[in-house]
Amino acid sequence: MDYVIQTNQLVKQFGREQAVDTINLAIPEGEVYGFLGPNGAGKTTTIRMLLGLMKPTSGTIHIFNRDLKKERISILKQVGSLVENPSYYPHLTARENLEALRKIYQVPKSRIDEVLAIVKLEDAADKKVKAFSLGMKQRLGIAAALLHEPKLLILDEPTNGLDPSGIIEVRHLIKSLPAKFGITVLISSHLLSEIDQMATSVGIISEGKLIFQDTIERLRDHAREHITLRVGDSMAASEALLVRGVHAESRDGLVFLQEGSDTHVAQAVRMLVQDGYNVYRIEEAKRSLEDIFLDMTKGNVL
Amino acid sequence: MFWHVLRTEVFKFRQSGMLPILLVSPFIGLMIGVMTNLSGMATGGNSWLLLVQFMLLPYAVLFLPLMTGVLAGVICRYEHQAGGWKQLLSLPITRGSVFAAKYALLMAAVLIMQLLFLGAVFLVGQLKGITDPFPMIIFWKSIFGGWIATLPLAALQLTLSIMWKSFAAPFAVNVIFTLPAILAVNSQDFGPFYPWGQPFLMMYTGSASDSVFYVPWEQVLTVVGGSLVIFLAAGWFYFQRKAV
Repeated sequence: MDYVIQTNQLVKQFGREQAVDTINLAIPEGEVYGFLGPNGAGKTTTIRMLLGLMKPTSGTIHIFNRDLKKERISILKQVGSLVENPSYYPHLTARENLEALRKIYQVPKSRIDEVLAIVKLEDAADKKVKAFSLGMKQRLGIAAALLHEPKLLILDEPTNGLDPSGIIEVRHLIKSLPAKFGITVLISSHLLSEIDQMATSVGIISEGKLIFQDTIERLRDHAREHITLRVGDSMAASEALLVRGVHAESRDGLVFLQEGSDTHVAQAVRMLVQDGYNVYRIEEAKRSLEDIFLDMTKGNVL
Repeated sequence: MFWHVLRTEVFKFRQSGMLPILLVSPFIGLMIGVMTNLSGMATGGNSWLLLVQFMLLPYAVLFLPLMTGVLAGVICRYEHQAGGWKQLLSLPITRGSVFAAKYALLMAAVLIMQLLFLGAVFLVGQLKGITDPFPMIIFWKSIFGGWIATLPLAALQLTLSIMWKSFAAPFAVNVIFTLPAILAVNSQDFGPFYPWGQPFLMMYTGSASDSVFYVPWEQVLTVVGGSLVIFLAAGWFYFQRKAV
């Protein structure tokens, strides 16, 4: 698989604190990669290093399979970014803000109208940005990031501070980018629900460490429901089930069934009753993605 | 790459609405000139030289260095306001080109200020009806010399303005170093070595000199050139490493 971003043992140290601790990101091409973690986990620090705004203490960064340290300029020509709060010049209008960037990117002037249309800011194009709402500034930031038709878009908390309708708009926009323009997107958030609705791949960072990195499906697998049985003797009961070929295990005085379908549960219960075990309770426990996320970020391994 | 960055910098500066501050120092020079009564001081020399000496004192000692600092603050202010540095430095440009473009813009603005001052001198002379020939060579020497003398001050002010988010902090430093220049330019021993005194010394048409500038070459090279190298290098290296 081709990776657009690859970091190798990336470390950033502030004094004694390891803000980013030996992170190996691998972001495949054409994905929306959700970079998830609580506030202060090291997301923004990582992103700043990816853009060359900050130098890593150690480790390497490769973007488009090129070393960022050596080819920063040519890499950044194909990267659009929005870091933390939207960046803008308050004394300029939306159009002038984009014009200031266009003079550097050297793209045709028509691109300004195109990106303003993409983020639906045509009507406010000639207003000073200091009068914009946060949502409009955020959208202008996305327009600026798209101006030079980048192949990689790095968005740090792009829905932060938006109202619900703004969040939905930005979400639709981001989801459409890979298919429409062939852009790979790295999007960071501290909200799992955000990532869940946009991302195809996920990396979870906590206290500077990358504790999970895989597809969103694999993350969802962890959220699968399972059935717990409270029985007289859980150890013996689970063994009895195992002997008969039912996947079960005993934990905390409970029997856990791995298969949760109705027929499997009915079969297991029938076996236990036949064998003379008392069945007190049958419960369905479902872990939400939030639970998993919280578990992981608290340091519990899956 | 440098030219693209410079054009963006010029664009941002022009749109800032701060262009009129270029007029402040020349205007103060103009007012001083208008209020000066030359008729009572017939020295027999060229009246233009007498006039410019009055106008120079507040302009070159105080307002030229102070406004250089203000301009440096202005061209960095909008970068500090709302994440401008972050956006600018994640563009495909080198930090060196950003620093160089900002410095070039600053020095161009100072040069415009100097030319406006020259215009102010000419205007006052016309108002006062000075009939002596306009000593063009002498004035160019003064205007250009004063500009050279602000090169190091501009480098320091630009560096401080990049370093500090506050507009007032670099300005305070500027004031602290500029005010003693009033005393320094009157001192034979200390004056020639004080960088903030150089704009006046290099603009002062009263000192007889056959050299290119109104101060000896050694002074231009060591004091102005030396402080320029130090301030420019410090700013350059600081900016290369600055984490945004």
